[in-house]
Amino acid sequence: MYLLAPTVLRVAPEDFPARVRVRFAAELRRAGRFAQLCLLGAQACLDAAGGDGPLGVLWASEFGAVHATRAALDEDLERGEPAMPFTFIAMQPHLAGALLAQRSHPVTRAACLYLPPHAWPGLPRLALGWLAECERVLVGCVEESGSGGVAHRSDWCLFQKNPVAEAVRCERSLNPENAATATGEDWIARVAAWRGSGHAPLLLRGGEDAWSFTRHG
Amino acid sequence: MTGAFVRAAALASALGPDLDAAVERLAGAPVAPARNTKTGGPWPYFAIPIAGEDWRERAEAIARSVAGDLRREAALAPGEWAALPCIVGSSSFSVGAWDDGGWQALEPSFEFSSSLAKAFGVRGAVTAVSTTCTSGLSALDIARGLVAAGEFHDVLVLGVEFRNRLTVAGFAGLQLLSATAARPCDRERDGLVLGEALAAVLVSAAPAPWRIAALATGMDAASVTGPGPDGTATAKTMRAAMAGARWESAEVDLIKLQSGGGPLADLAEGRAVREIFATAPRSVSLKGALGHTLGASGPAELALLLASLARGRVPATWGFAKPDDELGLEPSGGDAKGLRRVLFNLSGFGGSVMSLALEKAP
Repeated sequence: MYLLAPTVLRVAPEDFPARVRVRFAAELRRAGRFAQLCLLGAQACLDAAGGDGPLGVLWASEFGAVHATRAALDEDLERGEPAMPFTFIAMQPHLAGALLAQRSHPVTRAACLYLPPHAWPGLPRLALGWLAECERVLVGCVEESGSGGVAHRSDWCLFQKNPVAEAVRCERSLNPENAATATGEDWIARVAAWRGSGHAPLLLRGGEDAWSFTRHG
Repeated sequence: MTGAFVRAAALASALGPDLDAAVERLAGAPVAPARNTKTGGPWPYFAIPIAGEDWRERAEAIARSVAGDLRREAALAPGEWAALPCIVGSSSFSVGAWDDGGWQALEPSFEFSSSLAKAFGVRGAVTAVSTTCTSGLSALDIARGLVAAGEFHDVLVLGVEFRNRLTVAGFAGLQLLSATAARPCDRERDGLVLGEALAAVLVSAAPAPWRIAALATGMDAASVTGPGPDGTATAKTMRAAMAGARWESAEVDLIKLQSGGGPLADLAEGRAVREIFATAPRSVSLKGALGHTLGASGPAELALLLASLARGRVPATWGFAKPDDELGLEPSGGDAKGLRRVLFNLSGFGGSVMSLALEKAP
């Protein structure tokens, strides 16, 4: 499969509301911060990749919708007030797929995974399976800032079956021992940086699984 | 690519602490959900009849019980069992721990999923997936893909939803709950009744009576909290499942409905069924008996349905008494003789729609 538009987004928490307003105006004002963060990165990736066709959306997080969880438990439940639809935690992690579909992207399947940092190779592996049914799979790693001074993170890339200009060929590596260790926090950033400067194939591993990235053409 | 089969299943639910008890109870007279519980507050709630004050200890006790049941049925060698990868689907994971222990009792969803896998005695890779009410079926979808691709011979799937006040409060805030009972497809239906369940399904390459012939997914973006009123996305997904299984609509013997008693959601599913089938096949809903077990509902309803069919019965739809002409669905239980093809619908918040095609070996 081929990887397009590795897109790295880091936003300081204090800048985040303005970034969302600039990109989406009032469209996402009720969506909750985690879903907004997903959309901000995912839409940037789609803008860079272009194209159309049935789209799978697959994203992972270690901690999920931290802000919405805190809001729902501390502000709503502890005060005895009903949790409102837009902070309803059961929905928050999964909301990004529906919001992308509402923005006229042809989403056919979507899922949010909770993964530890080393388990990121599960994402391209699952995307490869989804490509049997979707033409493209948008893959992201999203994490809300848990403390001051740490940026929100929303990194995305697009996998597709067919090669195009600027695409990176992406395959499971049979030699994980030769690969550099990457995490959910940096693997897309490393692909993006390598694509701009690298010549030799890039080999990245997480856990016992590794992927190779090769320039196409 | 190889086939994927349902090798074994186990369930703890409001119907009983194990699958045999649940099937036996489902064959009897309907039982009303509990009321005025700590979890449900004023709302009726289908709780697992396993006592325990400490949320975490109770969750692990339920997990060990279900694990024992599944392990007996699966009959894997100890080494095979221990090596199983585990995919956990839930909409709430450990959020119920907050009810008793506050913030310090909460743990990240992946860690909670890993602790469940540990309670099951498996040491393979753990994946946690959240797609709201379809989470458990999404987990089964991932497992099916891994088995079909030949990466694993067997994969453990858990659908998990344990009691928690937050989920009840969320559904109450959305005005989606019934104050009395779940009445799927009934003229007097007025909302959902929630419940808890832990279901375990072993997806395998080894041939078993029920094969996963196809699993189709869709996205209904009409609203993030309910299906589009015309049922278009549901119909499209059901069609995709039938196409994947290479079935004609006339070959479907039974539809396991998503229907949980929500006035508009049931209507949308009814429209989808009527759009596809000139004459609707036999149908069943299990949410009147289990409650809506949200992220657990896929594996939980799958386990209960297949166990009932194995005993030769299509279960009755508890809560259904008066047909709704506008809906056009009349679930009916009875003899399951000759039944081979089941279409299994599930949908959830965030637009998630799934349809599973199950085919019985000749």
